[in-house]
Amino acid sequence: MSDWGWVALAYGVTYGSLAVFAGSIALRIRNARRSLGEIE
Amino acid sequence: MTAQTRNRWWPWAAIVLSLATAFTLAMVSPADDVQGNLVRIMYLHVPAAWLAYLAFLVTFVGSVAYLLTRHFRWDRIAAASAEIGVYFTGLAIVLGMIWAKPTWGVWWTWDARLTLTAIMFFVYLGYLALRRTTDDPIARANRAAVLGVVGAIQIPLVHFSVVWWRTLHQPPSIIRPDGPAIQDSMMLVALIVGVLAFTVVYVSLMVKRIELIHLEDQRDAVERTADQPVAGEAVTAPDLGGPS
Repeated sequence: MSDWGWVALAYGVTYGSLAVFAGSIALRIRNARRSLGEIE
Repeated sequence: MTAQTRNRWWPWAAIVLSLATAFTLAMVSPADDVQGNLVRIMYLHVPAAWLAYLAFLVTFVGSVAYLLTRHFRWDRIAAASAEIGVYFTGLAIVLGMIWAKPTWGVWWTWDARLTLTAIMFFVYLGYLALRRTTDDPIARANRAAVLGVVGAIQIPLVHFSVVWWRTLHQPPSIIRPDGPAIQDSMMLVALIVGVLAFTVVYVSLMVKRIELIHLEDQRDAVERTADQPVAGEAVTAPDLGGPS
């Protein structure tokens, strides 16, 4: 693989994992708000 | 746009803007004489490692503050920071491996810096696991705070491992007694902006993660209360002899 290939892999892993991590927090906040609303 | 909506969205907007800036600078900065274009991986790897230190340092401060004050706010800060720190540590390890394969010829070597970073990663994974061993919020906070304090000893161990032992890993490039080893100003700017961008990401994630813990604590408290029998059901109204 070329140097640019390794660079693309590194940026893909970083930005992709960050999107998943941030997305999971956003979803969990939405679910917590929903279930709190249902209980109350 | 209401203030509440703005508060919900600014962390996500800050993450996108800061990462876009860091990405642009990393791509327009020149290639390194020795590493070539692989140096661009360093604009991610170094900030990820620094933010892991910062996150675990905040966990340490939050743990100490909790043990002193017993306020759950500090426990929430420590927990949120530990989770984000584990993410950044894992990211730093993976990025280091992606850089090491074309540079050193191997994905991994049992070098002091790499080994100690892996141990730190697993210790803080253990911290997160420990928090799940009980539903009692006081026991959870107490146990986690002790590990949050003890675990922090690894931060200087990992950072100074490249100075204290002979390692394959490079020594520090920025904070050195004789000044930064990076001479090209554009490369230095790309690295510093990368660290700043990741710091913005960390702060934004902390805001949302603390909000999540707060909501989950509220939900758990409401559920615990809902499970309790209502006292009124067991009480019979006294017969006062009046009209029924």
